[in-house]
Amino acid sequence: MDQFKYISPKTKEEVLEILKQEKSEACIVAGCSNVLPYIKDKKLPAKLLLDISGIEELNYIKESEDEIYIGAGTTISGLINSKIIREECNILYQAAEQFADPTIRNSATIGGNIADASPAADVAPPLLVLDAVLEVESMDGKREISLKNFFVGPRKTVLHDDEMISSIKIKDDPINKNGCFIKLGLRQAMAISLATVALILEVEKDKVADVRIAMGSIAPIPLRLIKVEEFLKNKKINDEFIEEAVKKVREEVKPIGDVRASAEYRRYVSGILFKRAFRKLTD
Amino acid sequence: MKKIPIEFSINGQKREAFVNPNDLLINILRDELYLTGTKYGCGIGECGACTVFLDNEPVLSCLTLAAAVDGKEITTIEGLAKGNELHPMQIAFLKNAAVQCGFCTPGMILTAVALLKENPNPTEEEIKDYMRGNLCRCTGYVQIVKAIKACAEGGENGSI
Repeated sequence: MDQFKYISPKTKEEVLEILKQEKSEACIVAGCSNVLPYIKDKKLPAKLLLDISGIEELNYIKESEDEIYIGAGTTISGLINSKIIREECNILYQAAEQFADPTIRNSATIGGNIADASPAADVAPPLLVLDAVLEVESMDGKREISLKNFFVGPRKTVLHDDEMISSIKIKDDPINKNGCFIKLGLRQAMAISLATVALILEVEKDKVADVRIAMGSIAPIPLRLIKVEEFLKNKKINDEFIEEAVKKVREEVKPIGDVRASAEYRRYVSGILFKRAFRKLTD
Repeated sequence: MKKIPIEFSINGQKREAFVNPNDLLINILRDELYLTGTKYGCGIGECGACTVFLDNEPVLSCLTLAAAVDGKEITTIEGLAKGNELHPMQIAFLKNAAVQCGFCTPGMILTAVALLKENPNPTEEEIKDYMRGNLCRCTGYVQIVKAIKACAEGGENGSI
């Protein structure tokens, strides 16, 4: 394996100072479950690994009156074991339960899965429909980035070299409790998603009162399907309408073909996954 | 690269070591401490053969930097038995013929022990779901699931 330097700061402050000095030389790691395979594969020329897994102030899940805060260093297991996540944003719990396997879930973190910015990141679609906001910090201060503006391409984000994600903020909203996440992989375990859907829905008198939909692995970035959402709102739910929505989903996704599936298959199956999630929440 | 001093506990014993920043935990375990029960399989977190306990949680030692275990407790398959007395899960694997070539067995047993700690009475589906990241190329899954079930239930082929 290529050589690199390793530092494990004990405070967030230290991380930010090192980031300011080292800029692009440094790569923040926590679970290393993606970064080490990248380094082995020579896909990531990391000169310095900044290990934040020992920083307690980045590992928490807490609730204020109207918001939930998740520390970026929270592991995927941490999400599964949290009553707040299970009850208030169950769709994120569903994604965490389908994430890799229990051993990886003990290492991998929510912040890492977001910062890695894979189009297949499993926590991204649920967080997109939960309207999550990232709190990002550098020595120059704090800023907030809505997750839907965070990803710009495969493994590319708007994060600057000297910034780190410190927490994820989710506004409490009753609609967040009625969510469904479906992951399609080539097998059940450890699979990189071939397509995922996250849907949250509020129905009033057979009509769609509110809806948010996001999908993974079907575009260069985890994607909110805004046009589909607009189409769905205030419509009466019936079979014809669902079929129409399936068509709209297939229009809005922008999949590529790769080793796991062709673009055509991804486009087709996106509609199916949407339909399954929609039926699950309405039947 | 400058070596990093670390202190950790391995199977209940305190150890100190100087490691390279890019040393993996599995290499320290196998090549420095000669604990070769932990197996190197895929090296990219797909197979589970290198599973060890880090502070009582199963993790993959091929994706864990040695420098990152400073101050932590590690348990490998060698630390599971108490002297000559095998752990109930080891007995269950033996009695249920859940070992073929044996390469996946250390990882399987440690993950299975972690499962029963979280969920003492898992269903067959729950066992398969939890063990999803541990691969057996001999495909001896039926016996492995049977052994875990037997261990959970105790009884003749299980832990008692």
